[in-house]
Amino acid sequence: MNGQADVTTIGRGTVVRGRVTGAASLEILGRVEGEVEVQGDLLLDAQGLAAANLSGRRVTIRGAVRGDVVASEAIVLEDGARVVGDVRAPRIAIAAGALVRGYVQTGDAVQPAGGRTRAQPVATPVQRPAASAASAPPRAPARTAPAPASAPSVAAPARPPAQSAAQAAQSSAQTTERITVPRHLTASAQPAATTSAPAASTTKGPPPPVVPVLKKGAKGAMTKKRG
Amino acid sequence: MASTVIGAGITIDGEVTSDEDVVVQGTVRGKLTARDGVTVEHGAVVEADVNGGPLSVAGSITGNITSTDRVDLQPGARVIGNVKATRITIADGAQFKGNVDMDV
Repeated sequence: MNGQADVTTIGRGTVVRGRVTGAASLEILGRVEGEVEVQGDLLLDAQGLAAANLSGRRVTIRGAVRGDVVASEAIVLEDGARVVGDVRAPRIAIAAGALVRGYVQTGDAVQPAGGRTRAQPVATPVQRPAASAASAPPRAPARTAPAPASAPSVAAPARPPAQSAAQAAQSSAQTTERITVPRHLTASAQPAATTSAPAASTTKGPPPPVVPVLKKGAKGAMTKKRG
Repeated sequence: MASTVIGAGITIDGEVTSDEDVVVQGTVRGKLTARDGVTVEHGAVVEADVNGGPLSVAGSITGNITSTDRVDLQPGARVIGNVKATRITIADGAQFKGNVDMDV
């Protein structure tokens, strides 16, 4: 790990805010907020936290990501990985114990969707101009993304059980309307997660599962459980 | 133990904050803050204000430097900016333009 000339390491006690780019490989053991776009391999350690869109050739995730993960070759989400965001690569492996909340796309479908060659880092900004136009602002909505998902669950019990179907439909329409706004702002393809979540909560009782991505102490509890 | 290395070929635009050693071989623009030592190796480009402990420079820094310890400008180093540190050495062959402020 040390002494390696062309492996970049963001150490455990290090926070990077901003944009990390380059042709080399990158290991994240600390925190990154912003955007990571490397042509080499990308490793997010179990202790690592990324509130960023990650892009690399082969991306291995063992820690927590809030943002999209894109690879030109493969993505491996290992045990302990927690991803809130989209995951796109020609090959994707999700190991048991990895948590994902977002849109996952593998295989050749990546190329038509990107509409470009397999140069993923180049294709990504083209595909989503709104998201890349301002890399900083989308971060804030992305952080609040779980909130709208849980909002319906709060609203649901408030509704009397003997309510008419029309009213229920109306309220569900309202919630979807409300949710549409942040989705516009983020311009990320989280619709898959956010639309399905409120729909499920209005038709059935239980609220959508909230992945405790960055909840305080959640990480410690998980690692304890695993021994 | 595992310190932070910003390797050659990597560019960081933004802010780097660290509680440990930082070694820069690539490019950093913005701000670089470390509680421990900072090493800017030959070929590295830092266009940022640098705050930290002992600082060793063999590459290029454009920005103000503040160190709680010493600053060593090695041969081949190129520094443009003000330097505030307890001790400063400038090796023969280092380029430097800026104010020096040592706690006298």
